[in-house]
Formats: sequence, structure tokens, C-alpha cells
Amino acid sequence: MQYMNLIMAGLFQAAVLFLVACGLQLIFGVQKIVNLACGSFYALGAFFAITVVGLLQSLELPMVLLLPVLVLSGLVIGLAGAPLELLLRPIYRRDPSYQLLMTFGLVLMFQDVFRFFWGPVPRSMDSTLYTIYGSLELSGFRVPVYNLLVIAASLLIALALGQFLKHSRLGRIVRATAENRNITEAMGVNSAKVFTLVFALGCALGTVGGALVIPTSAASMTMAAELVVDAFAVVIIGGLGSMAGAMAGAIVVGLMRAIAVAYMPEVEILAIYLVVVAVLLFRPAGLFGRSTA
Amino acid sequence: MSAVMKARAMDHQQQPVQLAQPVQLAELLRGFMPFAVMCLALGIAPLVLSPYHTVMLVPIVAYGVALLGMNVLFGYTGLLSFGHAMFLAIGAYATAVATRYGILSFECIVLIAAAAGGVFSLLIGALCVRFTHIFFGVLTLAFGMLVHSFLFKFYEVTGGDQGMRVLRPTLLGIEWDMSATQFLSGPFFYYCLALYLLIGVIVFRVVRSPLGLHLRAIRDNENKARYLGVRVYRLRLFAFVLSGVLASVAGAILSISTGLADPELAYWPQSGNLIFMLILGGATTFAGPGLGALIFVVLHETLASYTHYWRFMLGATLVFLVLLLPDGLLGTLARRLPKRAERKAP
Amino acid sequence: MSTILSARSVSKAYGSFQALKNVSLDIRDKEFLSIVGPNGAGKSTLVNVLTGLVTPTRGSVHFMGQDIAGIGPVKLAAKGMARSFQLINIFPEATVWETIGVAVASRLGRASNPLRSLLGDRRINDDIQRLARTFGLQSKLFEKGAALSQGEKKLLDIASALALGPKAILLDEPTSGVSSGEKYEIMDLLVKAARTEGVGTIIQVEHDMTLVARYSQRVVALQEGRVIGDMAPDAFFKDPLMLDAVIGPAYSQHAARQTEAAC
Repeated sequence: MQYMNLIMAGLFQAAVLFLVACGLQLIFGVQKIVNLACGSFYALGAFFAITVVGLLQSLELPMVLLLPVLVLSGLVIGLAGAPLELLLRPIYRRDPSYQLLMTFGLVLMFQDVFRFFWGPVPRSMDSTLYTIYGSLELSGFRVPVYNLLVIAASLLIALALGQFLKHSRLGRIVRATAENRNITEAMGVNSAKVFTLVFALGCALGTVGGALVIPTSAASMTMAAELVVDAFAVVIIGGLGSMAGAMAGAIVVGLMRAIAVAYMPEVEILAIYLVVVAVLLFRPAGLFGRSTA
Repeated sequence: MSAVMKARAMDHQQQPVQLAQPVQLAELLRGFMPFAVMCLALGIAPLVLSPYHTVMLVPIVAYGVALLGMNVLFGYTGLLSFGHAMFLAIGAYATAVATRYGILSFECIVLIAAAAGGVFSLLIGALCVRFTHIFFGVLTLAFGMLVHSFLFKFYEVTGGDQGMRVLRPTLLGIEWDMSATQFLSGPFFYYCLALYLLIGVIVFRVVRSPLGLHLRAIRDNENKARYLGVRVYRLRLFAFVLSGVLASVAGAILSISTGLADPELAYWPQSGNLIFMLILGGATTFAGPGLGALIFVVLHETLASYTHYWRFMLGATLVFLVLLLPDGLLGTLARRLPKRAERKAP
Repeated sequence: MSTILSARSVSKAYGSFQALKNVSLDIRDKEFLSIVGPNGAGKSTLVNVLTGLVTPTRGSVHFMGQDIAGIGPVKLAAKGMARSFQLINIFPEATVWETIGVAVASRLGRASNPLRSLLGDRRINDDIQRLARTFGLQSKLFEKGAALSQGEKKLLDIASALALGPKAILLDEPTSGVSSGEKYEIMDLLVKAARTEGVGTIIQVEHDMTLVARYSQRVVALQEGRVIGDMAPDAFFKDPLMLDAVIGPAYSQHAARQTEAAC
């Protein structure tokens, strides 16, 4: 039954990774940009959430509001993606290598933004807040309710996103722009606005993920670069450009992490990347991806 | 007058046209000359700089070697590798292992590092060069992360986050009995500079060969290149292996200068730095990336001494470059200069 | 004259759509052959099969006695067949000299040694000069591909294909997009260049019937994936069935009336 602990821990990781990966996939699917700064938005969400929660604590607000507060603060700071998208505009039609470079420049800049606002030392939330929702006893093992709530929230967001893309008018415009930007522009769609929306949404998914993770871990300057390592494993295993892939990849990576941490800590990220290489060798499109160029 | 009518007119003249390459300043800037000038400047620099600052020139030379290779891969063949720092690390660790087992001749060490780089780049490249553009970038990024995680986690084999010690090698069989600073700013620097120059000459020869022409064809229009008999996969792999070998040699130089094979050499932001240097000088020219290495190292040092927030400045510089000067400094200069073409007219 | 390119009972299906139905064709050395037919007849598919780009669902295709089904452009060039495209396909950044040079380097096998010199290579230089002269592109030798005019780009496209020194060349609508005045001149240049470069066999897909009549020795007509006619141009243009299928009823009726009036 201690396997269940592992699985729950793994699924919690997966839920957070899934949000970030979703953001990456969305931005890649529509704008064909690989956002290396996804980890930076993740870290941004984490830092900002810590500040917000600290503020609310000092105002003595009921901490049962923790989860919605985290999600909201993630969404709010995610809007920072919108103005940044302006920087990306000139390079959409250029060689895709330049976007990797541009987003890498953002990564460097973000590192010092964190340092400036939050200092060089890792910050964590008040550790008592993690158990604010208590824990559940299920046939011999305990799981913090917080983990379950995060998994549920992540699934809900995924569902909402899926519905939005499939059934709403705006969602269909987004998908059309992803398929063929020139034609949708010719049909009168302001693709610039669509791109801004998509980029902001993609970043917001990252910031929400970061916000949700801070009750369990600290926010540090290095978490941005580290997350990119995980996020790319997720996206390659699951397949570039697919939401289902983001989910599958996130579950694989999340579970592998949890297992490795429990049994063989040295092998942790190495094991994940061996899977990545295996996928690249035998099924380069990933589990759910479309065929690669 | 249409092209075909001109052909008729030419026919009647039947004069063989001299092969006259237009001599333009822009062409010179794209060629070997700036590289030679830079090497000369680097050679004179220790006379005016303090030993401390001269030691700083060693990474410039090391990165320059790596960038000569990366430029063949990107500037000429059109493949941007986002994991190339892994070869720096491979060269560094090969060096550490060599010195640990008593191989102290720098000449042997360079060969061993090159061989290690060659083997790994052949294996990794065989898979990666099947893909292009963004997928190639993502794949190389992934392999870079794999190498980093291996070096970082396997404490017993690689020393984990502490890395592996690298001992001082002999140059030309001579043991240089002097302080680290004296060694690095003196004989070691000049040896590496000579190596840099030699490698530069060889790589220049390669890019100016028919093979180099084929590489550029791949970058220009891959599809058309195939129809003109260019063996795209094979040549891409060649470019990848060449760049892997050179990056490993660079890693050897770097590790000797710090005395340490550091897993951080393979961390993905390090690859980002390499690409930064690549485009800073201008990947469309031969000497551009080497110049980029020089500017990057100097910029880094200068900024770091002025402000805590040098990463922000560096990042902003990169963003500025991508937006406004995609051809880099040397490349933009070469493009903007007025063409003073001298052709022998038919 | 021996057969150098042959398709035997070639069929190609794309899903449920049959693009080619049991097509057999023998093309001989030094022939000038035109492939004609209405749109959707399967000309492009046939061309793709003949040039090893597409593997037939059934049947075989051989060039110089070797199986070339699906071998791809690089191996095709090595075996001695070149191809040009309907839509202009050039190197935007490379100069005319460099573009032709790529093909010459391939033909001479110069691209396997990284340390050879390009500019110092007498043979490559001479070959490029000769080809540029033949196609009237000498004055543009050092211009980039993107800077050329439409007509010049077309010429460069064909010139670079010929520079491979192939035994056979397949041209997909070589004069499309070119003004009617220049069409003859391009074709004349092409035929002359082919002779100079030792290219024996020319196969073209062509819609312009006057060009077909004037330059080909043999006309192969396709309709709905089948070969409906394989004959000399004289016979082709006198055959109302052929004209009907390929050009349309109006023309064949007109021709019939002409023939009647002449009797």
C-alpha cells in the first residue's frame, strides 16, 4: 500500500507538470514557438504566490481560501506574458531557431528579475499551510487533501481548455490560426490578437503550475532552469503539439520521478532522460505527437 | 533584353570569360581576414594586459575553437544545436580521465578529447540530423540534458556535482614549473592560440571546398540540393561530428584552465551562451562567431564587475540582437557596406 | 537505340484513388519524348514514379537496367538522371556560379573530400563557365538566385539540372510561367545545351501543343491514369481521338472540318 503514496506523489507532480506542458504545447501548436522561458514563468508564479499568500496571512484572511488564492495569483501574474509577446512578434516569420534564442534571452533576464524582487535565497511558504486541508485516510495510507485538490484542479483546467478550444468561437479561431495563419488572416481574423491571447494563456498555465507547487517546495532561482529539463522530457515523450501528449508525458515523468526519489535518487533525472532517448530512437513523434519535420 | 536573347548575342562572340571574383570589402569581411586579425590581436594582447586578464583570454580561445565547429553546423549547414555544451563537458571529462590515468601530454589529451567527441557526436548526430530546425534544436537540447544529468548524478563515476580534477599537462613534452597564472597566461595561452589558428585554417579550407558549397546548398534549399546530388544526411552528419570534435577540444582547453571538469559545462544554459556568441559576431561570416566569443567573455566580465544584475543585461543584449541585428555585428557590417564590385566584363 | 528507362505495368493508388492504371512505357536513348494529357490524367504521378520519387503500388521501373523505384533524388542523380520542376526551385542565396557549381561538384564527385579547393579547381570552373555561357547567364554569374528575373531563374533551374551530366533529363513543364515569345528560345537553348552536354534523352511534360509538335519525336498521351496513345507527333495531331482526349472536342471538330475543307 505504500505504492499508493508513491503514485499519489507522482500524480501530484504530474498534475503540475501537465499544466506547464499544456502551456508549452499551446504556444507551440499555435505560434510554432518553443518557449524556453516556460520554466521562468513557472518560477514567477511560485514567487508571486508566496508573496500574495504572505500578504493574505498578514491580513489574517481564512487560509481555507489557499487553493483559489494560488490559482488566482497564478492567473494574474500570468498576464505578464501578454506584453512580452510583443517582443516575439517580429520573429514569427523568421527561422525558428531565433525564437529559441529570444526566449533564452528572456530566461536570462528573468533570473535577475527574481533576484531583484525576491533576493537570491530560496523562499518558501509557511509550511503549516500545506496541511490546511487536512489529509485523507484511504485503506491504509494517507494523502494530503491538498494533493488531491491540485490533481482535480489540473484536470478541471485541462477539461476547460479542451472545451474552450473545441467548442467556443474563440477556441475555433485559435485552432484555425494554428492550422493556417495566412488564410485566417485573409478571413479577417486579427491574428496578432490571437497570438497575444494564446501566449498569455500559455504563460498563465505555467504560472498557475508554479503557484500550485509552492506549498510543497521552495521557490528558488534555479527552479526555472530545472523545470525546463522536466518540461522538455514531458513534451518529447508525449509528443510536440498535443494536449493528450502533455497529459501522457506528464504522468510518465511524474511517476518516474516519484519512484526514483523513493528508491534510487541518483538516477532520477537520468532515468527520465533515458526514456526520452528511447522515445526519440523508436518513436520520435512521441506517444501522441504528429509526425516531425 | 531577355536572358535568352543575350545568350544568342554571346554565342556570336565566343569569348571565354575570365574567372573574376568580385573583390568587395564585404567579401573580405566574410572571409578569413578578420579571423587572422583577431588572432594577431590576441597574440599581442598579453603584452599590454595584466596576467590576470591574460588568463581570461584562454576561454575566448577555447570557445572560439568550439564556435568554429558550431558555425560550420549552423552558419553553413543551417542546423542550430541547442545542446552543444555537452561536447564541452565530454572533452573536459575525457581530459580529467586522461590525466587521472597518467596521460599528461597535452598533445595526447587533445587527441583523446577529440576522439571522445567524435564518437559521441557520431552516435548522437546519427539520430539528430534526421530532423531539422526546431525538432533538431529540441532533440539536441534533450541530449544535452541527458549528458548533464549523467555527469551530475553519477557521483562514483563522475564525481557528481563536484566534478573531476584535471591536472596540468605537459606542452611539447615539457613540464612547465611555474604558478598556475604564469602557466595559463604564458605557454598554455600561446599553445592554444596556435592551435586555434591552425584549426581555423583547416576549417576555412573545408568551408571553401566543394563540400562546403554542398553544405551551404543544404542550408539554402535542402530540397533542391537533393536534386543536384547533394548527400544531405551524410553531409549534415559530417558537420555535426566536426563541430562535436572541435567542441570537445575546446572542453579540454577549458578544463585545463580551471583545473576542473565541471558538470555545469553541460547544463543547457551553457549551450545558450554558445549560441549567443555564435550570433553575436555573425553566423553568416567565417570570423563572426570567434569575435562573438571575445565580445561575450569581455562583456560578461565587465558587466559582472559593475552590477549584480549582469544576467539581465546579457539577456537584454541577446533579445536586442535577435530583434535588430540577426546577422550579428560582423555580418551586419558586411551587409551594409557599399559593394565596390570589380568585375571583368565580357 | 536501346531502352534506358522503362516502366512495367505500373499502378499507383493513393488510398482509394487510382492515379496510374497499369502503365507500361519504354523510353529509348536519345529520344525526345513529350508526355501530354488533361489535368488529373496522372502525368505528375508518372513523372514521380519515373524519377524514383514515388514507389509504385504495383509494377516496376528501371533506369539503365537498375531498379529505381522510390530511390529518391540523390541516388537518382548519382545514377544519371536529372529533373527540373514546374515551379521554380532555386537557391535564393547562392550565386549562379555556386548553383551550377553544386551540380558540377556532384557530378565530378568532388564533395567527398573536405580539404579540396573549390576556387582553385580548374575543371569545376571551366564546366561552370561553359554551362553559363550556353544558357546566356555569364553576365549574371555572381548574382544571387533571388535577384534573377523569372526567365533567368528558369534557365538556371534547367542549367543546374543539366550540369549533373545526366544521361536522361525529365522536365516538368519547362516553359511554364514564361512569356510565349521566350518559349521557343528556351526550348532551342535546351536542345542545344543537351547536345553539348551529352544528355541523350529528354522527357518533358508539356501542355503547349505547338512546342510538343515542334520538338518531340514521340508523344505519349495519358488519360485517367492510362496510356491512351504512344506515337509520333505527326500521327498524334492527325488523330481526332487523341486530340479529343487531350485538348478537347472543340479542337478536334475544328481539325476535322479543316481536313474536310482541304479534301
